Amino acid sequence: MTWQLFIFMLINGLCQGMLLFIIASGLSLVFGVLRVINFAHGSLYMIGAFLAYSLSTLLSGESLLGFLILLLVIPPAIAIIGFVLEVTLFRRVYREEHLLQLLLTYALVLILDDSVRVIWGGDPRSVTRPDLLAGSVDVMGMALPSYNVFILVIGPLIAFGMWFLLYRTRTGNVIRAAVSFPDTLGALGVNVSWVMTSTFMLGCWLAGLGGVLTAALSNIDLGIGMEKIIECFAVVVIGGLGSVGGALLGSLIIGTGLTFFQLPFGRWALVFPYALMALVLVIRPWGLFGKPER
Amino acid sequence: MEHGKWRVLLALTLIMFSGFFLASSSASAADVIKLGFIADVSGIGAPFYKSQKAGLDMFIEEINAAGGILGKKLELVVRDAQLKPDVGANMARELILSEKCEFLIGPTSSAVALAVSKVSKEFKKVIFFHTSNAEALTTTNFQPYMFQVVPNTGIEGRGMALVLSKKPYKKYSLIGPDYAYGHDQLDSFTKEMAKRRPDVKILDTVWVKLGESNFSTFIPTLLAKKPEAIYAAFWGGQLSAFIKQAKPYGVFKQAPVSSLYDLDMLRATGLDMPEGLTGYARAPFYAIDTPQMKAFVKKYHEKFKEWPADWAIMAYDGMTALTQAIKEAKSAESEQVVKVLGGLKFNSLRGERYIRPVDHMANVGIYAGVTAKSPEHKHFLIMKDVKEVPAEEVWLSVEEVKKLQAEQK
Repeated sequence: MTWQLFIFMLINGLCQGMLLFIIASGLSLVFGVLRVINFAHGSLYMIGAFLAYSLSTLLSGESLLGFLILLLVIPPAIAIIGFVLEVTLFRRVYREEHLLQLLLTYALVLILDDSVRVIWGGDPRSVTRPDLLAGSVDVMGMALPSYNVFILVIGPLIAFGMWFLLYRTRTGNVIRAAVSFPDTLGALGVNVSWVMTSTFMLGCWLAGLGGVLTAALSNIDLGIGMEKIIECFAVVVIGGLGSVGGALLGSLIIGTGLTFFQLPFGRWALVFPYALMALVLVIRPWGLFGKPER
Repeated sequence: MEHGKWRVLLALTLIMFSGFFLASSSASAADVIKLGFIADVSGIGAPFYKSQKAGLDMFIEEINAAGGILGKKLELVVRDAQLKPDVGANMARELILSEKCEFLIGPTSSAVALAVSKVSKEFKKVIFFHTSNAEALTTTNFQPYMFQVVPNTGIEGRGMALVLSKKPYKKYSLIGPDYAYGHDQLDSFTKEMAKRRPDVKILDTVWVKLGESNFSTFIPTLLAKKPEAIYAAFWGGQLSAFIKQAKPYGVFKQAPVSSLYDLDMLRATGLDMPEGLTGYARAPFYAIDTPQMKAFVKKYHEKFKEWPADWAIMAYDGMTALTQAIKEAKSAESEQVVKVLGGLKFNSLRGERYIRPVDHMANVGIYAGVTAKSPEHKHFLIMKDVKEVPAEEVWLSVEEVKKLQAEQK
């Protein structure tokens, strides 16, 4: 492998990792605060992708403006769906055993996925990339799609935004306190259930954003929710459940790993995320950035 | 974690869901011939299904309007196999046992087809394949109740090797879906190319999961060894996604891509489809010049307000063969019909065809051409300079088939 190819593959892989991070960080954040593994996260991501498709057909656009509207409108819409789910369903199971939480989120997967089947049908869909992002840029003499570069820019912005929110704002302090000492926080007069609702909404917002970005990257169909939640699960196990930094590291490892291992290992590259997950579970069950359960 | 509880709950859920399927069976009447269609309704096969269903519906409507076959009307019962072999096999059993279907119609995916063919053998019910086309169905997995009216993966792979062997390219990279269809086809392509052009090198074969539509991690690998040409064994939605994503990676500047450019795929790809790519179709309506095709296309367009894709045409041809066999056997029972299927001559939309007795394969070839814009079709490309590669030039000889069938899996 020439070093030019190496750099090209690295950039390409990082781009895949960034997209994965956007989705997985939502899952991880929600678990960190709510202590619920939301399996329906993948379904919300899929709904985001399909909503983006529907809205894009209305906007009739290869224009950048149309695509920006998708990015601004769809994620909040998914956050609103998240709000409804949190207030009506999730809120009831925080203090229940894990089995009940699993059943709830799994039931939601079935309901949401079938709703998508009823509303949009089984056809694969996609969102046309805006003209400005439809071309390619030259990287080491090879063509890299501009759209991938766009994701590569969005990803770190999201990562920085989340870091800033969690570590540099009062809201972030409260969210982090809710992770560690929910009872103390309540005693201090903070409305903990509101913290939980907004964190859940933020997680759903990220799922929706990932959905919009995916809809223009590749085709979307009924299976993408299930597929993505499994990948995200691998990411958060590797990075540490509840750790956003861990989700970033896990996503980037998987994204670049899948790109690089494709060349020497071919179809066996698919095993990589899960083999790594198994390895992490054996050596450091709480993940690279996580903390052991108290 | 309480594993026991989990399992009980899971089992209960499954039981509750299975209730839906059982409740939906209905009684059968003596004056209808029921055809059970195990289809891949959702996912990447969805556009194909719509075309197949349209072709079947049109055929059944025509026959029933003319009084049916042997005085019996045709009735179609559809089940979704979801591209999953186990689901397909269950659906086939259900169609035979509960719906009392006497004949089966195969799906889109070859993996499902292989599973369904076993069920057809078990219950001795005739099944015809019009889209799924693993060559193994007619060789190592052959069973006398199946017949195929679609060019199989061998005819396709070897046919395209024949076409491309006349081009100057010496270095190929291959990419395809990691299941029966992809393997059969790329294998046939590689072997035939080695025979015709020993100087051609296959640099690499990239395998992609069936249904995967994000090619970002695969395309750089495909280009890494600098191929002069690429042969892709994708189909439908997956191929369309591949073409769309390949463009900004500069694939077409480096190497032309050859693959299955059927009408549904061309429509889905629209004007993102590059011009000048050598590809093939299984039954392109715009390039087959028979009077029956012309009449069919006209009628189809009037009815559905769109042009018939390859899948509609082949599904229709399969029904033509099946109903003719029913007429010749003077019986609507699989056991009788199967006796006349081998060697049956039928007038397909693609012209006069026959079913070879040894492997129940119709002599259907592929149609190779070059993608081009066309003044009649503003929103998608078609192929020009289309030439048929007749099945007889590239299918396995009777001896080869017999040898493979003897290795029956």
